[in-house]
Amino acid sequence: MGEIKKLRVRLTFPQELIKEPVLFRMAKKYDVMPNIRRARVTDTFGEMILELEGLEENLQQGIDSLRQQGVVVELIEGDIIE
Amino acid sequence: MKYVKGLKCRECAREYPVEPIYVCEFCFGPLEAVYDYAKIKKALSRRTIERRPKTLWRYKELLPIDGEPQVGLNSGYTPLVEAKNLARYLGVKELYIKDDTVAHPTLSFKDRVVAVALTKAKEFGFDTAACASTGNLAHAVSAHGAKAGFKRFIFIPATLEQSKIVASIVYEPNLVAVDGNYDDVNRLCSEIANKYRWAFVNINIRPFYAEGSKTIGFEIVEQLGWKAPDSIVVPCASGSLLTKVWKALKEFKELGILKELETKIYGAQATGCSPISTAFKQGTDVIRPVKPNTIAKSLAIGNPADGFYALQAVKESGGAMEDVSDDEIVEAIKLLSKTEGIFAETAGGVTLACYIKLLKEGKIDKKDCTVLCITGNGLKTAEVLNGKTAEVYHIKPNLASFEEALKRINDKGR
Repeated sequence: MGEIKKLRVRLTFPQELIKEPVLFRMAKKYDVMPNIRRARVTDTFGEMILELEGLEENLQQGIDSLRQQGVVVELIEGDIIE
Repeated sequence: MKYVKGLKCRECAREYPVEPIYVCEFCFGPLEAVYDYAKIKKALSRRTIERRPKTLWRYKELLPIDGEPQVGLNSGYTPLVEAKNLARYLGVKELYIKDDTVAHPTLSFKDRVVAVALTKAKEFGFDTAACASTGNLAHAVSAHGAKAGFKRFIFIPATLEQSKIVASIVYEPNLVAVDGNYDDVNRLCSEIANKYRWAFVNINIRPFYAEGSKTIGFEIVEQLGWKAPDSIVVPCASGSLLTKVWKALKEFKELGILKELETKIYGAQATGCSPISTAFKQGTDVIRPVKPNTIAKSLAIGNPADGFYALQAVKESGGAMEDVSDDEIVEAIKLLSKTEGIFAETAGGVTLACYIKLLKEGKIDKKDCTVLCITGNGLKTAEVLNGKTAEVYHIKPNLASFEEALKRINDKGR
């Protein structure tokens, strides 16, 4: 068994996914617990700042599945700076 | 003397004590230093500033440190060059270059932010400085950290070219090349930052680090004879520099150091990584992350942490955002070099090229007093000019061959 980890992420949803329960499905399928801290949805765009908690491999699979569906997943910590 | 009251979340306004923390525990919003301006007003005036050494620390009351400066004692106060040749070429009245291509010690504006970050790291009692960076930030942490006696860890993706590594490794930090992409390095660094008590300048020291950028704004005002220009063009990666330049001007106004403030702030991006400019042009305040694809690597942040705040600053000041192609960037680097003798890195090309575009669009007036923030030295990204520079005249070692070349040169009118 892997280690339980927490990840702070920002999810950006494209327009076509705003109405879909993307996060719920991912959380259920991979046994990942989302803890939403901030969210903003407009007619063309959705953004969510949250913490994901779960086994390391489940977190990775869950994030991969979000990305495959077209959700942009970024760590809160941001980018490497050149 | 302490002038910082604490840290405050930029999203929910929750307050925190001065500690090496960087996001709000509740909403994960970024934290920012909050100052006691009433107290600073009593301690800081034009006269006090003018009496101090010409470094970024002459504005120390407006920087988030408690004691005396300890790192980067020769950093900052770079030249504000009146760009008369370039102004004549572009047909504008008054143009200045804030020239951080000659920043001490590593030739980019990151020397400013790291000077502040590592002074704060010393105050916090850290003995190890770290960052995830592939360029200017890595150079600044490596060099400032060496001088200040920090153990240093620099994290890079293992695929980084050798040419980019030399300017960091020469200072002998622990350079850690991670098997993985940028995302993997980031994730690892945030885990390391949680586990080890190290000063990650762009993670847990970020609220203090970012404040160092304000010194560009302070210096511009002072070097113009204590007045603010009509317009300032600032390159945008995370958007932090732009928000801090704007904050600097507002702080000087608040303190009465600046009588008038009607400056418009303009943000410059490369089209291949222009999430902030795109949001501005689309009239939305939502920054959509992008996958960077530009030669301006030092600006290639696809998900800009301060993008929203940069957008707010641009709008609040009445400015605008613009973006330019890689070809325009190269042309602007060459133009700045041949008119003003200043060789800027790609970010400088972005800034000048965006200025030219903003002039053409009539968004910046030709009669304006404008300052362009040129943030890094061209020697760092010289490879982008390969095959794009002027002709070299190859001759035989005799006079006849030289005179043949001279004829060609004269025919070109050079």
